[in-house]
Amino acid sequence: METGRAILVDITKCIGCRSCEQACKEIHGFPKDTEAQLSPTALTVIEERGDKYVRKMCMHCQDPACASACLVGALKKTSTGPVTYDGSKCIGCRYCLVACPFSVPRYEWSKLVPYVKKCDMCAARQAKGAPPACVEACPTGASIVGDRAELLEEAQRRILAGGYVKHIYGSEEAGGTSVFFISDVPFEKLGFAAAPTQPLPTLTASALGDVPTVVLVGGSLLSGLYWITQRRAEVATAESSDGRVNGKERRQS
Amino acid sequence: MTRTLPKLTMWRLIVAAIFAAGVYATYARFFHGFAASTNLTDPQPWGLWVGLGTLCGVGLSAGGFAIAAAVYLLGFERYRPVLRAAVLVSFLGYMTVIAGMMYELGLPWRIWHPIVMWNRHSVLFEVSWCVMLYSTVLALEFSPALVEKIPIAALRQWYLKWHHEILIGLVMAGVVLSSLHQSFLGGLYLLTKGKLHPLWYSPYLTTLFYLSAIPAGLAVTIMALYLSIRSLNVKLDPGILSEISRVIGPMLALYGVFRIVDLSKNNALPLLFQWHEEAASFWLEFALLVIAPLILLSRQSVRNNPQSLYWTCAVIAGGFMTNRLNVSITGLQASSGIYYIPKWTEFACTLATLTAAALAFRYAVIYLDILPKNPPQPRWMVQGAVAEA
Repeated sequence: METGRAILVDITKCIGCRSCEQACKEIHGFPKDTEAQLSPTALTVIEERGDKYVRKMCMHCQDPACASACLVGALKKTSTGPVTYDGSKCIGCRYCLVACPFSVPRYEWSKLVPYVKKCDMCAARQAKGAPPACVEACPTGASIVGDRAELLEEAQRRILAGGYVKHIYGSEEAGGTSVFFISDVPFEKLGFAAAPTQPLPTLTASALGDVPTVVLVGGSLLSGLYWITQRRAEVATAESSDGRVNGKERRQS
Repeated sequence: MTRTLPKLTMWRLIVAAIFAAGVYATYARFFHGFAASTNLTDPQPWGLWVGLGTLCGVGLSAGGFAIAAAVYLLGFERYRPVLRAAVLVSFLGYMTVIAGMMYELGLPWRIWHPIVMWNRHSVLFEVSWCVMLYSTVLALEFSPALVEKIPIAALRQWYLKWHHEILIGLVMAGVVLSSLHQSFLGGLYLLTKGKLHPLWYSPYLTTLFYLSAIPAGLAVTIMALYLSIRSLNVKLDPGILSEISRVIGPMLALYGVFRIVDLSKNNALPLLFQWHEEAASFWLEFALLVIAPLILLSRQSVRNNPQSLYWTCAVIAGGFMTNRLNVSITGLQASSGIYYIPKWTEFACTLATLTAAALAFRYAVIYLDILPKNPPQPRWMVQGAVAEA
């Protein structure tokens, strides 16, 4: 479960040079202008919070809400870590945007054939053994890539060494993610979402689990009701026809 | 006759204006995209088309399965005269939902994808299948009204015989499918924990959606029946309307109690007495959907007067729409940090599809045997109808 690749972002080391933004735009062939917020052409951005720089990107949840929401299975958590998007399946319902606890996915609102856009942790590059473009471009080592379990240990080591808030953002959020943040400033002051700590798909799993019960119990209940109704109608017809026979007899006699 | 002519002309003008706006909005949507035709953004990816078109469209169409179940499964024969009309209202409602989907989806030509690409962990997947299947059920339930107009007797008889054999199965499937997707529309928002305002987020969103859909669907059925009696020369005993309305009150009361208990279990009751937009929206919703209808429906003078009943049902439908829009828009505003107001073209598309459905209902009632046209009427009812007109 703890396998797969992950990214650790150390906010104390980020100098706001935006090399990650540029590298991301470069490999996707997006226009190079800096954007203030995530957009279909900015899959990671640096946001300034006071004197700190906070990197925004897909958190690559362990049990992603977007993947459970997607009715055609276009979004998938891969065993190697990244949450990927298959545009050829997407129908454009945008439930993934509604579902994401971090409000990360973007939609191409101005296109006539719009798709969802989000970071895929350079899944194709990583499959070839190369690091994600943003990590490779980081000059200070503020972003590093590695095995998820090892990165968690590394984050713990740094926190124990002192100078950090005692929390790894992403270790519990949304049931755990594959992107971690450590910081010397409390996360709520940096605008991090206070995401629920359980995996969000568990919230719908129980409702969906009721489907067979509803079908079986509902079906038998309705059949039972129908049977009772039929029986009552039969009895009523029998009784009234009896009455009619009696009436006829009376009239005849 | 001459007196009603100018009125008809005015209505035709309004309908023409709605369709003209709808055509322009459709053009804007399909030739210039979402950005040109909607105010949707990444923080508010679902707007009026989902909130009103889908959530309200499906919810307010719940009357068909309820009336069908009452007649066929519970043996309430007194509802039979309005059965076809109720099924037709639901069927047309689902047609507007599907038409609305073509606007709503970014890639509408892939609307068939869920048939072959399955994700059974997705609530939306279940909803899409239930809506597909239930629309088919409604079409089959309604089909005799069309088939009996076929001039070939053998074909007609063959179809009606075959239809009779599967009818009970259809009605049962309709009840199960409706129960599933009416509740799962609420289930869509279970994933929005932390985003949806606590006045609307609940682990029991499914139950809340289900409990509110049935009375609201019945209210819309009553409205359609009243308008048919009033302007389509349908001769229906208006007593049947008060008959239906009698079950709405207890259902709304049950929903209201469930809603309040649920809020208190989620520790959200104190939020009701703070001054912010969400609390005001809640009170508007609760007043229209629960409080006002319960007061009105408790009065015999309202239940037995078709016009008062019509307006009461309009209040219920309004309250229901307020609830669905609160869940889908108002309740998400604080967390999204933006204030979404639909663009006029969004209204225009939804209004045009609803108008098309209303026209389809009108012509179906005129040209098909949907509602009885010459039943015997007690004299006081005729007087009532005259007084109405």
